[in-house]
Amino acid sequence: MILSAIVFLPIVFALVLTFWPKENSIRPLALGFSLIEFLLSLGMLQRFDPNSAALQMVEKSMWIPRFGIQYYLGIDGISVWLVVLTTFLTPIIILASWSSITTRIKGFHVALFILQTAMLGSFLALDAIFFYVFWELSLIPMYFIVGIWGGANRIYATLKFFIYTMLGSLLMLVAIIYMMYLTQETTGSMSASLLDFYRLKIPFIGDDFFSLQTMLFFAFALAFAIKVPLFPVHTWLPDAHVEAPTPGSVILAGVMLKMGTYCFLRWIIPLFPEAAEYWGWLFMVLGTIGIIYGALVAMVQPDIKKLVAYSSVSHMGYIVIGLFVFNQYGITGSLLQMLNHGISTGALFLLIGMIYERTHSREISKYGGLASVAPIYTIAFFIITLSSIAVPMTNGFVGEFLILLGVFKAQPIYSYFAVSGVVLGAVYMLWMFKRVFFGEKGELCKDTHHPIADLNLREILVMIPLIIMVFWMGLFPNQFMAYSSASIDHLVKNRTNYNLVHYDGTATGIQVSQSQGVEK
Amino acid sequence: MKMDVSWKDITLIMPMITVFLTSLIPITIKVLRGNREQAPMATLIQALSGLLIACGLLVVVGTIADGAAAFNNTLLFDPITQWIGALAIVAAGASMVMMYENPATKGEQFSELVFLTMSSVVGMLILVSAVDLLTIFIGLEMMSLSLYLMIGMSHEEKLSKEAALKYFILGSFASAIFLFGTAYIFGTTGSTNILNFIQDTAGLVQTNRLFLFGITFVILGFCFKVSIAPFHAWTPDVYQGAPTPHSAFMATAVKAVSFAAFLRLIATKTLVGSTNLFDVLQWLAVITMIVGNVAAILQNNLKRMLAYSSISHSGYILVGLITAGISDDGSFGASGVIFYLIAYSIMTFGAFALVAMMEKSADSIVLVDDLAGLVKTRPILSLCFTVFMLSLAGLPPTLGFFSKFYLFSAAIKEGLLWLALWGVLNSVISVYYYLRPVVTIYMKDGEAQIAGHSLSATMVTIFISALFIALLGFVSGPIFSAVERSFL
Repeated sequence: MILSAIVFLPIVFALVLTFWPKENSIRPLALGFSLIEFLLSLGMLQRFDPNSAALQMVEKSMWIPRFGIQYYLGIDGISVWLVVLTTFLTPIIILASWSSITTRIKGFHVALFILQTAMLGSFLALDAIFFYVFWELSLIPMYFIVGIWGGANRIYATLKFFIYTMLGSLLMLVAIIYMMYLTQETTGSMSASLLDFYRLKIPFIGDDFFSLQTMLFFAFALAFAIKVPLFPVHTWLPDAHVEAPTPGSVILAGVMLKMGTYCFLRWIIPLFPEAAEYWGWLFMVLGTIGIIYGALVAMVQPDIKKLVAYSSVSHMGYIVIGLFVFNQYGITGSLLQMLNHGISTGALFLLIGMIYERTHSREISKYGGLASVAPIYTIAFFIITLSSIAVPMTNGFVGEFLILLGVFKAQPIYSYFAVSGVVLGAVYMLWMFKRVFFGEKGELCKDTHHPIADLNLREILVMIPLIIMVFWMGLFPNQFMAYSSASIDHLVKNRTNYNLVHYDGTATGIQVSQSQGVEK
Repeated sequence: MKMDVSWKDITLIMPMITVFLTSLIPITIKVLRGNREQAPMATLIQALSGLLIACGLLVVVGTIADGAAAFNNTLLFDPITQWIGALAIVAAGASMVMMYENPATKGEQFSELVFLTMSSVVGMLILVSAVDLLTIFIGLEMMSLSLYLMIGMSHEEKLSKEAALKYFILGSFASAIFLFGTAYIFGTTGSTNILNFIQDTAGLVQTNRLFLFGITFVILGFCFKVSIAPFHAWTPDVYQGAPTPHSAFMATAVKAVSFAAFLRLIATKTLVGSTNLFDVLQWLAVITMIVGNVAAILQNNLKRMLAYSSISHSGYILVGLITAGISDDGSFGASGVIFYLIAYSIMTFGAFALVAMMEKSADSIVLVDDLAGLVKTRPILSLCFTVFMLSLAGLPPTLGFFSKFYLFSAAIKEGLLWLALWGVLNSVISVYYYLRPVVTIYMKDGEAQIAGHSLSATMVTIFISALFIALLGFVSGPIFSAVERSFL
């Protein structure tokens, strides 16, 4: 029941908020709700057995028997941290939106909770159609968050985001339906369960682009690549990020992009192992281009938020190349990097939002010398900057190091290029930091009549958990990796013959792989 | 030909008789009162209760008949009759509720309008049960003739008259083509009854060129009625010119019953016999989707946009029809079509009902921009409208998504993958214009108001439709299975 509660409680919260009569108590109420949700996910983490690669806390029942579509939730080492990341970021977002969202407060929080359900559902659903419902549902609240509370060009940005993402996912829907018929052909009964999909042996012919597995692979990969977003289908991201309100940017960068990379790991790599291996070079190349291109474009941005948005393209490139080397280091690094990026980029967007509320400008050239005006803000920004450029002891270092290690072991040629992204990352972040915080005071910082106020207590409270996480994950990454190592090990060792079983109470660990194929 | 009419036949057509008799009540009362209207509310109640009884009878009759034919095999009472017949009755009832309140239709001549609507429903009930091409023709004409008059009766003076005339002339032309085809079929097979040649249609279309001509013309006649491109040109003008309740009625009930009759014809395995016809219909489906969706993007008039949207949905439904036509196990494809028609009717009806709410006078035109800021004055209505738009675009978890899912999965099962791909790509295009009103409502500044007069009943239809669309998706599995089981 705990997974159902985690997924659907936010919808209940959204309903309560919809009918809540008092506008001015919505914020504390929403914050309380999101904290309940967070505690619930911690309870789930408590029950989670890190030594097992099996699916835990499984809930399964028939939804649409005619097509074998099931209500199927389960969690394993791959999804566990992403769930906690989602529930961790939501209270922070609500706290951060305290002053940035001033109109239609109720609608905003309702949209936020529906979005939370959609994201958690996509991480936990193990049935293709059930998953698809959540995957598409996540578009609707995000569309409203960007479109209603966003910046000047918000309608263009939100439509682009929506149509772009939907194009990919509808092709995936056709592929899913096709695979459901494949299960009917092979087993006799139709099923949309991911575990049954894993058992399909889809024919693959390397050189033939129109071989079944390749076509299905690309139908899925396009949907996820748009979400990640991978170069060259990343163009919706800078628009959406720049126009989105701060909470929207945080949730977009923090969680929604992870839905793409998570699905690469959950769906593409085990479902289409041969095609993924054969076409892996394509994703390595695109990921590497993304790393360098994102960094170079970020460098020349005059707008801080756009700079961070392009840095996301660069960081997500790392995650993708880490996944497509198919070894323990790379995948662990990618998984860790998903969390790191959620925390550090989320924090950067929050910090940018905080200063934007004060000055209503994000032009780097208008700042300068901010350090002497707002010292606490500067310290927070500096720590997050260090995390973003992967300085040792911060979380970013562990993830990027593991990814590069994995890439170096498997396909060193890509790591030569990818590693330049680390340098470029330091260049664009530190250069931006220098221009904003040091040097001669810019026009915004000169104003002595209305000096820029430093962070207030609420804003400090927003930043503290994020800064703690930066160091916690940087200093003790093993505590986090321990939860996912069994699952990743299982995936790496049985990549071409992957399947999952339900957790039976004992920490079977990697032995799961030997007894594979048996469900229930 | 000897005609045997037994009591069983009479029992089976009880729903039609009921609707017909109730339709006479308001105008008879008007005549008896010396050409003075009774209170419109009384008329409405009489009509609705008639429809309610008819709907109940339809279910009962369907159970008694259990797929039996009546009147010398001219009327068939099978699941298509029941589902689509009930859908038509419900849609007609909801349309009449809207007519009662719409400025273009309320007030004077309401009893005549109700009479015409009801006789149109009689035509529809004949159409959904007819298996003889001539009976189909009678149903089609009875439905359409009433509609031409209904549209022309609008209190609006210009566009509605144009729409009525346009619809009448083009509709008659299509009927003529339909009859022409029927004549060929009669000439080659000696019968106009589908049941007589259903077994060897596939062979006949291969061997007999004249029969192929005949059946092609009949199909073209249907293509006009359900607005398949390139026979769609009347749709936007008529939907725009007609009073909004009538547009809703045409987009839902009329389209659903025409598709039901079309489905019967296609189910004769014509497409299996003639690959040319099969290819042509596939391309027509693709062209219809594209024409409807692309043209809808350009519209600023909300009703016109919905008209083009209904054209594009005809394209999707045609995909389902083709699937039903070529599959050996026709019930999956047919159930997909029926389910789609039900879902599509609910959401389209809701959307038109919102347009009706915005109309301030008989000749007012509702533009997309007129919705700006509606959320501030009417948050719940805005939410309902958003639900309709998202559902029309096929986004989960609405009913629209599941109906598309069933339709396209049937198509994929029959190997029509490319049609399904065109379908989903068109859904992406459609998102653009379906989201435009939503953008206007939520994200643009404005002071949109619903029309000042009382619109309580229309509002209720919107709420009920929105609830169905939002919630039925979750239980769509059992509903779809029920539709499919009813064929067994």
